[in-house]
Amino acid sequence: MKVRGIQFSPVLGNLKRNMRYHCHQIDRAVEDKCQLIVFPELSMSGYHLKDIVYDVALNPASPEVKKLKDLSRGIDIVVGAPYEEIPGIIYNSALYFSKGDLRHVHRKVQLPNFGMFQEEMIFGAGDTFRSFKIKEFTVGLIICREILFPMHAYLYFLQGVDFLIGISNSPHRMLDKDHFKSLQLWENMGYVYSVFYHQHYVFMNRTGFEDGIGFPGGSFFARAGQGIVKRADCFEEDYLNFEVDLEAVRRARLGSNYLRDDKPRVILKELKRILNA
Amino acid sequence: MLEINFEVAEKVIVGFIRDSIQKNNFKNGILGVSGGLDSAVVLALTRKALGKDHSLGLLMPYQSSSPESLTHGKMICDQFGVKYEVIDISPAVNAYFDQYPTNNRILIGNKCARERMSVLYDFSIRKKALVIGTSNKSELLIGYSTLFGDSAAAFFPLGDLYKTQIFDFASYLKIPEAIINKKPSADLWKDQTDEKEIGVSYRELDEILYQLIDRRKKDKDIQKLGYPQEWIKKIKNLIVNSQFKRTMPPIPKLQNRTIGLEFRYLRDWNK
Repeated sequence: MKVRGIQFSPVLGNLKRNMRYHCHQIDRAVEDKCQLIVFPELSMSGYHLKDIVYDVALNPASPEVKKLKDLSRGIDIVVGAPYEEIPGIIYNSALYFSKGDLRHVHRKVQLPNFGMFQEEMIFGAGDTFRSFKIKEFTVGLIICREILFPMHAYLYFLQGVDFLIGISNSPHRMLDKDHFKSLQLWENMGYVYSVFYHQHYVFMNRTGFEDGIGFPGGSFFARAGQGIVKRADCFEEDYLNFEVDLEAVRRARLGSNYLRDDKPRVILKELKRILNA
Repeated sequence: MLEINFEVAEKVIVGFIRDSIQKNNFKNGILGVSGGLDSAVVLALTRKALGKDHSLGLLMPYQSSSPESLTHGKMICDQFGVKYEVIDISPAVNAYFDQYPTNNRILIGNKCARERMSVLYDFSIRKKALVIGTSNKSELLIGYSTLFGDSAAAFFPLGDLYKTQIFDFASYLKIPEAIINKKPSADLWKDQTDEKEIGVSYRELDEILYQLIDRRKKDKDIQKLGYPQEWIKKIKNLIVNSQFKRTMPPIPKLQNRTIGLEFRYLRDWNK
């Protein structure tokens, strides 16, 4: 499957302009014969929404959702959006559109609520990590801070996910004499997921600024069994073009046997013991 | 003090300046150039972000300003090829003090800072240029600024860098040694220096601020680094007592959605 990731800077709270940008990039990806296009977390709205969220949240009847469904007849599409599936409760969501339909919605479970982050103030928290089938692939969606908890990706690993799609709005921080330490966190997880969970893994992060808070991009693709093989630029809008295939996943699994030898029931038993202690 | 990668810092700040100017529908940036270190660094970064044709420096001496400040201000503008204008604020400031005379240096200093702000915002419209501030993290944290004077700007490119880091950043940006090596001063009166006024050197102040703010260290841990408790206490008082300079004025809540409480939006809303 030929995939394109879009690293860009959405306009905070301007659905119309962001939608126009999405449509433009989707058209270009179709022209280039891509089969899937992935945008970052909250790509439809921008990140620090605060009270804007109530005006820009999408819902199943939104014209933008209808339009994305239509466009997904030509290409699969992953966008990030505040999504009000249940009236009155907005989730920070990853939406997967395919074949004219909204195929899957993942509601962000880990809402950061410290320092500059205030997601619990505006979003409800999801509580599932469900895989789904796209063509021959088992796919999982994961959003930003969830990526930093390896047990979430482990749940996808157990479901046999071949392609994990991570979308993010991670601001850069902790600059030292080398670089922003925050960038390294995401790459470390990319290595773990591709090598130890045998997943193709894409990390799509946004760029730009919101009131001085900068988003560095630094998106990458980690190939199953191999670690990071492609990187987008830091601090600039950029694309990521790559292909995913099942053979690489198969080879990674055969090489390490981590999936075959994993003992989830032992983990479950021990989790119960620990939680009930 | 934490060492940082200046190449990355430059890239981020230049991108931030460009982004802020564009988002606010400007093409040009304007700043007050004092002849000192901070405005020299901001000028260099603005020039890189916007180009020389879209950067403008205003040199605004008062009658008691050091002639060296004007010389250094012109020198830094020339080095980076940035256009500048010299506007003597003495007649405007003196017109006020002729009516309300004072020998109080603080009053004169504040008046000069606010007059410069007034000129900058006037030129902001005349030149279609957004006002770029030059405050740094050390000044902002201890409130070493004049409210609605030098603290007034659209944004502060150096607001997350301590003064000590700016000295090194200035060397990286090839700011002339004459500007880097002179004692930092608001030049509000003869022989004024920041460090004399604050009571400790920037290196000491910044180390204590860094430990207190960035590392959230307790007093006893900072004392172990060799800093006396009275300095730590004094700096903590400066931080607490200047909080009003870093926040919007409070509003007594009466209704359902109060500005700043339930009415919460970023400046970059829809930009």
